[in-house]
Amino acid sequence: MSYAYLFKYIIIGDTGVGKSCLLLQFTDKRFQPVHDLTIGVEFGARMITIDGKQIKLQIWDTAGQEAFRSITRSYYRGAAGALLVYDITRRETFNHLTTWLEDARQHSNSNMVIMLIGNKSDLESRREVKKEEGEAFAREHGLVFMETSARTAANVEEAFINTAKEIYEKIQEGVFDINNEANGIKIGTVSTPTNPSIGSNLPGGQSSNSCC
Amino acid sequence: MNFFKSGLQSVLGTSENQETMTGAETVERLVDRVQSSTMLEDRRDACRALKALSKKYRVEVGAQAMYALTQVIENDRTDNEIVGYCLDALCNIVSPDQFEEESENPHISVNIGEQFTEMFIKHPDHISLILSHLEEYDFRVRWSAIKLLTCLLANRTKEIQEVVLVSPMAISRLMDLLVDSREIIRNDSLLLLIQLTKGNANIQKIVAFENAFDKLFDVINEEGCADGGIVVEDCLILMLNLLKNNSSNQQFFKEGSYIQRLSPMLILTEEAEEVGMTPQKVSNIHCMLQIIRVLVSPNNSQQSIAACQKIMRSCGLLETLCRMLMSSGIPPDILTELINSTAEIIRGDGNNQEYFNQVLAPSNPPKPAIVILLMSMVNEKQPLVLRCAVLYCFQCYLYRNEVGQNDLIHTLLPSTKEVPATLTSGQLLCGGLFSMDAISNWFSAVSLSHALIENQNQKEQLLRSLVATSSSSQPTSLLQQCFNLLQQGQFKYQSKIGILMFLIIWLSKCEMAVRSFLSINGTISFLIAQITANEHDENEYLIQGLCAFLMGICIQFNDNGVEGNRRDDLCQLLIKRIGIETFSGKLNEVSKHESYSKAGKQPQIRIKSPADLLLDYEFCKLFKSLEPTVSKLITSFTNGNESVNELTISQEASSLVAQYKNIIREQDHKIQTLNEQVKQLHLQNESISSKLTETQTSMSQINDQNILLRAQLTAASSSGVQNQHSNMNGFYDQHATKIHELEQQVASLSHEKSHNETKIQFYEAENARLLTEIDQFGATKENESTNEKLRCEINELNSKVEQMSKDQEDLLELLADQDLKIKEYRKRLKNLGQQVEGDDDEDD
Repeated sequence: MSYAYLFKYIIIGDTGVGKSCLLLQFTDKRFQPVHDLTIGVEFGARMITIDGKQIKLQIWDTAGQEAFRSITRSYYRGAAGALLVYDITRRETFNHLTTWLEDARQHSNSNMVIMLIGNKSDLESRREVKKEEGEAFAREHGLVFMETSARTAANVEEAFINTAKEIYEKIQEGVFDINNEANGIKIGTVSTPTNPSIGSNLPGGQSSNSCC
Repeated sequence: MNFFKSGLQSVLGTSENQETMTGAETVERLVDRVQSSTMLEDRRDACRALKALSKKYRVEVGAQAMYALTQVIENDRTDNEIVGYCLDALCNIVSPDQFEEESENPHISVNIGEQFTEMFIKHPDHISLILSHLEEYDFRVRWSAIKLLTCLLANRTKEIQEVVLVSPMAISRLMDLLVDSREIIRNDSLLLLIQLTKGNANIQKIVAFENAFDKLFDVINEEGCADGGIVVEDCLILMLNLLKNNSSNQQFFKEGSYIQRLSPMLILTEEAEEVGMTPQKVSNIHCMLQIIRVLVSPNNSQQSIAACQKIMRSCGLLETLCRMLMSSGIPPDILTELINSTAEIIRGDGNNQEYFNQVLAPSNPPKPAIVILLMSMVNEKQPLVLRCAVLYCFQCYLYRNEVGQNDLIHTLLPSTKEVPATLTSGQLLCGGLFSMDAISNWFSAVSLSHALIENQNQKEQLLRSLVATSSSSQPTSLLQQCFNLLQQGQFKYQSKIGILMFLIIWLSKCEMAVRSFLSINGTISFLIAQITANEHDENEYLIQGLCAFLMGICIQFNDNGVEGNRRDDLCQLLIKRIGIETFSGKLNEVSKHESYSKAGKQPQIRIKSPADLLLDYEFCKLFKSLEPTVSKLITSFTNGNESVNELTISQEASSLVAQYKNIIREQDHKIQTLNEQVKQLHLQNESISSKLTETQTSMSQINDQNILLRAQLTAASSSGVQNQHSNMNGFYDQHATKIHELEQQVASLSHEKSHNETKIQFYEAENARLLTEIDQFGATKENESTNEKLRCEINELNSKVEQMSKDQEDLLELLADQDLKIKEYRKRLKNLGQQVEGDDDEDD
């Protein structure tokens, strides 16, 4: 169960685009065709390996419905990565991306890695959003882009792992302050650099115990 | 108080006025000063005064000053002192507690704090305002804001939760308080979070997302874990709040390896065992056990329970608990919770159950923990909650544990071996079943019934069990003995209910047990007497309902093996002696009973008094599943088709299907063997035809030789060997005709052979067609006539093929004959002095 790093992810996007299915495919390697509305937020976790290092992903799958928007906003700040998902068979879910992105940028820390995902790539016959359009949107807003299918599992692994790679690179570059847990990154129990001096960002408050 | 007095003086002016003014007037003046003073110091003094008055004159301050105080909090936020006073004043106003100062005031209503809370939160902005002050590091402000929020939450939990939920960053800020270096802030924010997370899954999840578990475990470690003070308990209560009914957080807790962090805290040192526990430690451990139980509660999804159970075993938690269970000096209320926790950790998990089965108590000689526990279950002197916990634990041990069930029943069966010196669980339960204590009877009956749930084999095995109630009496079967107990007048209703449930579970879906039960004299008449008895007690109704259900089961699972108590006989009895209406009415008594809905809610037994021990969870489950069948069976009597019910129909159908499957399987087999035969015949045919061509070539050679010979003969005769010639000629003629004959035969043979070949081809085709037909037949099972036809055809085919092979054999023989003949002729020709070409080859 030991890990080098722990990353917190959130999955956001309109209702019914397949956020929960992506998570289920990633954590349990199965697909559930029945749409079971997410209430609030659900949690999932999995271990991956990057660069020979064990990395634990903690993933919060949020509800897409407008009614839960204010609740799900609370998760932006503490996340290191976000999967912004739309449905390639429903144009309107693509059109709403700008709103989602604004929301995410406003409430998250500026370094959060956002991966744009066009889901349901298995339903080619019903496609409404071209792959090129997704690519263009991602380029314009500086996101990583991928088309996935939670049904066939195509690119699902890659989506989660590439996001983690991106975060990992940012850590290597020193962009992320890994000692601030509010960034959604935690150093694990193994291979911890021996300075667990967590500089808490609280005014005057200092964390007294960090050996976990 | 001097400080306050001087403060008041400086605000209100002379001291003489003070005595004459009423509280309301003073407050009015102060409010006026707060709102109109331009000097910060003046406002500050007024606020300080209001704070001082807010306890004794709560109503006045609340009614008049609330708005002003809020204004100050907003406008004077740079001055921490004044903000602190205002927050404190507001806190006093909305406090749910009654103050000493106001205890003499008769006008104060009990829920005054609640009313002011309602007024205050009419503007959701107010709460955001308070939340924003949590960011202020100054002690007075931060602490007061925490206290005020806690008071507001205590009064109007739901509303405040909703506001907090939609305030961006509010929960993050609250979580940051947990790492405040000032202990008071940290501890009070714990209390605030406990209030905030009560019953709101969304807040619980966000709090968990904000690393609550890490932070809480850090605090617990700092405070000394289980030995720590009330702060540890607060942390644990908050954790419990976060996990209760929140599967997402449970998953998070499990995935974050927090079970592994909790586990070592429960390990008791030997020293602690001797000294005993402080009340605080008892509370702490109690909370930890509850956290464990929340994770493996039977209400959770099966998947998550199983995952947690596995972790709890592998990280040594189960071992720790079992050791604690068997150690001395555990306070009784922890012991109960400990047993319940262990129960839920092992429930339905084969490995954990097996581990639990192996646990030995440190007695001399060591006894299995299960036996020790059962001993206290059938012991009247033990507290009821403890006995219930043991029953629950034992039930969890047997739940989906066939091995455990078999072991238990095995201890009740007559064995050839010597009786073991130690007491077995079976003996204990039998003892409990026949004891004078009704509660023990009930516990034992329910325990035994759990050994039979979904275990057909043991239901039959237990029929062999023999018991002797006293040393002098003859051993009777356990079934008989249970029936005897039911008939005893002085036997309490609770015991009867226990035994009836036991019998129902025993007899259900087990025709052999029903037969044995019906073979006992007077069982049915006893049941009928019970069902039709004119009783007016609620618990008697329940007994009647159970008797009716038992009778229904005797009809439903009757194999007609007992003369006079066959299915039809019982039906007739039911109609004539009880009446269908009455019977259905009595049957309904079970589900109508209060304890049916109570017991069916959760596997654990939750009762207040011993009299509440009536129905058992697993029994309710069985009743729920079988009651519809039984009542359908009863109502079908009125329609006249009593013997047909769903169960038998489905059985018939399934047997029919099985029959068809068998037929198909047989035919499949036949086709395969036929196919092989055809192949063999084909091979034979080929070899025969190759031999035929061989013989044909040799024949033509012989022919040629013959012609040559004839030519030589004519040459010889012309040279003048007359005598010989004529002789030779005769021979020759004969020979020629013979050869001609042979040629003809060969021709006919080859003709026949080709005929055979075509025939074989035809049969192959036919076979293929049959195969496809049979395939089709497989798809449409009902077509039995095709089946018959097929079988005939196959038989026909078979016989034809046999005939053919016989024909071929005949042909082969003929060929051999002819070969021989040809050889003979050749010899003769040789003898006659003719040179025969190809002689050497033929002779070999």
